[in-house]
Amino acid sequence: MKKSDNCCVSAALATATCALLGTGPHGAVQAQEEHAWEFDSALLYYGEDKGRVQDISLNVLARRNFLDDKVLSLGLAVDTLTGSTPLGATPLDGPQTVTSPSGKKTYSMPPNEIPLDPSFLDTRVAFTASWEQPFARLNTLNAGISFSDEYDYTHAGVNLTLSRDFNKRNTTASLGLSAARDDWSPVGGTPDPLSPMLDVGDLSNRGPDDSKDIFDVVLGVTQVFSRNLVGQLNYSYSNSSGYLNDPYKILSVVDPVTGDPIPPTPPSGIEGPSHIYLFEGRPDDRTKHSLYGKLKYYLSGKVLDVSYRYMTDDWEIDSHTLDARLRFPLSDRSYLEPHLRYYTQTHADFYRVSLVNGEPLPQYASADYRLGEFDAITAGIKYGWQSRSGHDLSVRLEYYMQDGDAPAEQIVGRQADQDLYPDLDAIIFQFSYSFGL
Amino acid sequence: MNKKIFATLALAAVGASGCGGMGVEPWERDVLAKEEMQLVTDPLEAGIDDHIYFSKEASSGGRGFGGGGCGCN
Repeated sequence: MKKSDNCCVSAALATATCALLGTGPHGAVQAQEEHAWEFDSALLYYGEDKGRVQDISLNVLARRNFLDDKVLSLGLAVDTLTGSTPLGATPLDGPQTVTSPSGKKTYSMPPNEIPLDPSFLDTRVAFTASWEQPFARLNTLNAGISFSDEYDYTHAGVNLTLSRDFNKRNTTASLGLSAARDDWSPVGGTPDPLSPMLDVGDLSNRGPDDSKDIFDVVLGVTQVFSRNLVGQLNYSYSNSSGYLNDPYKILSVVDPVTGDPIPPTPPSGIEGPSHIYLFEGRPDDRTKHSLYGKLKYYLSGKVLDVSYRYMTDDWEIDSHTLDARLRFPLSDRSYLEPHLRYYTQTHADFYRVSLVNGEPLPQYASADYRLGEFDAITAGIKYGWQSRSGHDLSVRLEYYMQDGDAPAEQIVGRQADQDLYPDLDAIIFQFSYSFGL
Repeated sequence: MNKKIFATLALAAVGASGCGGMGVEPWERDVLAKEEMQLVTDPLEAGIDDHIYFSKEASSGGRGFGGGGCGCN
């Protein structure tokens, strides 16, 4: 082998190795020679229809490549969230009034519409940092921290992933551990689970701030099958314990015959909710298991990327996620990438459309639509190109829709005439720009 | 025809022998080294998607760690 061939082979091998070890998507070795720092940035707009959640998000990921394939990664995300979000209460053919989360005022909702909380307004700042370095020739260690802060929520986490290459670096096995503590400081205090929404000024059912602990384990194998085919298989275990409720979600208490929300009797005479609503109550422990598989196949310049995830948990939610992307080169410097994603989940065993007056109160209940049974589809397209100065740019436009149904056995009386599940349509638009310094 | 059968058998044999028999030689990694062949081509976009779906669905993780980080769920 000629010396120049040797050079090319080693460069290609180093690049492939770095890539397999996940040190970066942009040819880390090549970039190391050119730039000390590499930046990925993205501006995202996520907007739901009917005045629901809108998110404008600025994201930056900076990587510093050091000698011996050591990499420092720093990430920052700032989200500005506005809009309305479903409360969990059922619609009615008359107006409904609820007490705001702060307990200081009330707001009313129009007839025959899914009740929404219009007070959703938040700014989220998230920060991540990780350090990756190889050791003992075939091993890589990645240690990271994460932190995020919202008006009423704080997250702090640590994670560690150990990887080892086998089989001429065609196989990589990894073990990842992550632990996090998330703290809730709900507006007005933490409502007691399944306690009633009270009149304005009455915070007697609100407790102090609460928290949850999350522990994750990910066992993974990546495998090179051929020159054109690489795959990944992960098993994940995740346990959350502590306060797992959404403190702003409620359930309607309905008449066992008509299915209409029940007004309080006698009326208190104080400004407050027009009907009886209870705050949701979820179990204080959840264990999830996931199996995730991915294949990437290269054929004549095109790259097919398909993945599948199966998740099951002890809340009786099972989900399947299928994701496919096909990247077509348009020229040496540009590509087009259509994307399709299909998602389906069963409902949690304590998911309730509403609670029926006169029936025993269940131990746990939530009407949060995200714990209901639904299908979701994402369809989108991404166009990427490289500028003459070598900077990568891309735009993507995607449409996300959720389509769910309330469980037929839970529908009471005139609820059958109402649209009980808050279907969702959203647009995702993202502009990305990557450069080196 | 025989070639096809042989190829299928060879493929099955390689598969049956487990991961130890799969893979490429170091000098065959030209395609695998391409940016678009990395398992995560765009980590920033992957993180954004994880965050969106974590907020709107009851599942998270799989590709990586899935727990916590947002009051949205």
